Amino acid sequence: MVQPRLVWFIALKDLKLFTRDRMALFFFVLFPFMFVILFNFLLSDAFVDEDNRLVFHLITLEEETETAVSHQIIAALVTPDESSLRPGEPLVIEVDDYDELRRQVEEKELGGFLAFPEDFTESLYAGGGADIEVVADPEAVYHRAALHGLAQGISSWIGAEYAVRGAIIELAGEQAQAILQSLEGQVITGEPLIGYTSDNTAGDIVAEQPTNYVIPGYLVMFVFFAAALSAEAIVRERQNHTLERMLASSVRRSTLIGGIFTGTAAKGLVQIIIFWTVGILVFNIDLGVAPAAVIILSFLMVIVSAAFGVMLATLVKTDRSAGSLATLSALIMAPLGGCWWPLFIAPQWLQSLAKITPHGWANTGFNKLMLFGADFADVGPELLALVVFTIVFASIAVWRFRTAAS
Amino acid sequence: MSANYLVAQDLHKSFNEHKAVNGVSFTIRKREIFGLLGPNGAGKTTTIRMLSTVLEPDQGDVIIGGYSIKREAEEVRNLIGVCPQELALYVELGALDNLLFFGRMAGMSSQEAREQALAHLKLVGLEERAKGRIDKFSGGMKRRVNLAVALMGHPELLFLDEPTVGIDPQSRNNIYETIEGLRDKGMTILYTTHYMEEADRLCDRVAIMDGGQIIAMDTPHELKAQIGSPDRVTLEDVFLKQTGRSLRD
Repeated sequence: MVQPRLVWFIALKDLKLFTRDRMALFFFVLFPFMFVILFNFLLSDAFVDEDNRLVFHLITLEEETETAVSHQIIAALVTPDESSLRPGEPLVIEVDDYDELRRQVEEKELGGFLAFPEDFTESLYAGGGADIEVVADPEAVYHRAALHGLAQGISSWIGAEYAVRGAIIELAGEQAQAILQSLEGQVITGEPLIGYTSDNTAGDIVAEQPTNYVIPGYLVMFVFFAAALSAEAIVRERQNHTLERMLASSVRRSTLIGGIFTGTAAKGLVQIIIFWTVGILVFNIDLGVAPAAVIILSFLMVIVSAAFGVMLATLVKTDRSAGSLATLSALIMAPLGGCWWPLFIAPQWLQSLAKITPHGWANTGFNKLMLFGADFADVGPELLALVVFTIVFASIAVWRFRTAAS
Repeated sequence: MSANYLVAQDLHKSFNEHKAVNGVSFTIRKREIFGLLGPNGAGKTTTIRMLSTVLEPDQGDVIIGGYSIKREAEEVRNLIGVCPQELALYVELGALDNLLFFGRMAGMSSQEAREQALAHLKLVGLEERAKGRIDKFSGGMKRRVNLAVALMGHPELLFLDEPTVGIDPQSRNNIYETIEGLRDKGMTILYTTHYMEEADRLCDRVAIMDGGQIIAMDTPHELKAQIGSPDRVTLEDVFLKQTGRSLRD
């Protein structure tokens, strides 16, 4: 039914029109980087000095013995020489008065701290798992997220250490196991060894580079905004009868929709190629451990945004209404979907609300991949959600698409 | 007498409760310029949209070159060219780019589209401005590009919906000459206009529409003869007599 060559020609025409529009090029290609530079500047090292350096307070309630694991962990983490820290690097210090730390947090003098309980090593060796306590001020969102991240990091690190030891024991046999057991006194299991409980926590981990969430956020926002504004151009074509003219010259309706959709998607592709290229080369962003997943997520985001743009065009009568609706949708969906700030620092209700927007799913996927070390499988729900949004938007677009203004 | 190239039978089209076209039937012979005249809202443009397959009639059918617009729309589209009342052009692109694009949409190869585009631009006197952006053109030049686009694919039947609205006499004259030249080469043309003198000059036969119906149809000479001496009566007199003098806007 669809005429692929004609779809391609229509898409090429739309790209040509896009490149002829200098204002659109500036607004959707260069302007987003002004945002990125501004917010990256505000959130980056330029504003990190001695006074607002992130400080981690660690405390252990265990007695100091040769086998006390918490003391070993703290010793490994504590900053040996504060003067050697680079701008933005956190300062880690050990303290010994738990009650005093707790009082400081309660009185909002301190963002939070990590505490190892007095039975930490014993619980660890018993194989039942040990907990690290995260005590944080609920209003100190960055500090809270950072402490969570540190607790997660310690948990993963110790877990991996013991998994390796377990494997060595398996390979070396009973003799080695007996030696290690005699040294450490207990059986080693494959279960997670360290968990952490949190007090007033809500968040995961703080990004090292603001660009790792600033760029994806603005990428999502501007790709959707550009696609939504394509609705204006589509309605204008309907009003000036170019769509009807194509229809009267052997172009099928399905081809017309396919061409418009492909043209809108092509503009989005241009945007993401420029964004990621500049992001990697200029802002040194990290695509995480699964760059292919970032690319697929970006591609899906472009597809869903194109379907959204075509759908918008079918909901309005005039190009002016299309422009207004596009701007309104961008201004509502972008902040709601975590384009202006990372969703993981947002309150739970906002994180839940974000799920009604494709922006929210796309941003969560990018954050998982680029900040939290997620792999392809971890962003399965986000990819699936974007596919569902595409089907819904495209179905409405196909159902309501018309070529005439009346 | 040439055979009928277009046969419209009892066409009906309504939008909500409004009957835009209400039982229109007419024929157009091959190589004929057929004028469709009528005040605003008479149903001319709706009729052309049905004839050009972009709007499906509620009732009735049209046979063009032996094909039904209902059952064989794609075959019909290969035979027709449409010059809509609006400037259906991409004004940010050049004149040549517009013609090439619509040529490709009509299924032409790149080379074929280029050859035809240049020939048609020459025909409408715009070969020197082939690469100029449409939004820099005058109203008359835009109308001529609009006509040139309709000629892409060498249609056998051309629909011209008020092609001379709002342009200077020179451009209008160029369009008249182009249309007469096309008729001489064998093209069949359906022409709508508000300008009675141009219908009188160009059309072999005219139909006057009002309220979605054809209320008179004949040669301009015969229509004038019905109300007086054809030498003294104008087609505008006929039009006003048939459609009345009340304002329609």
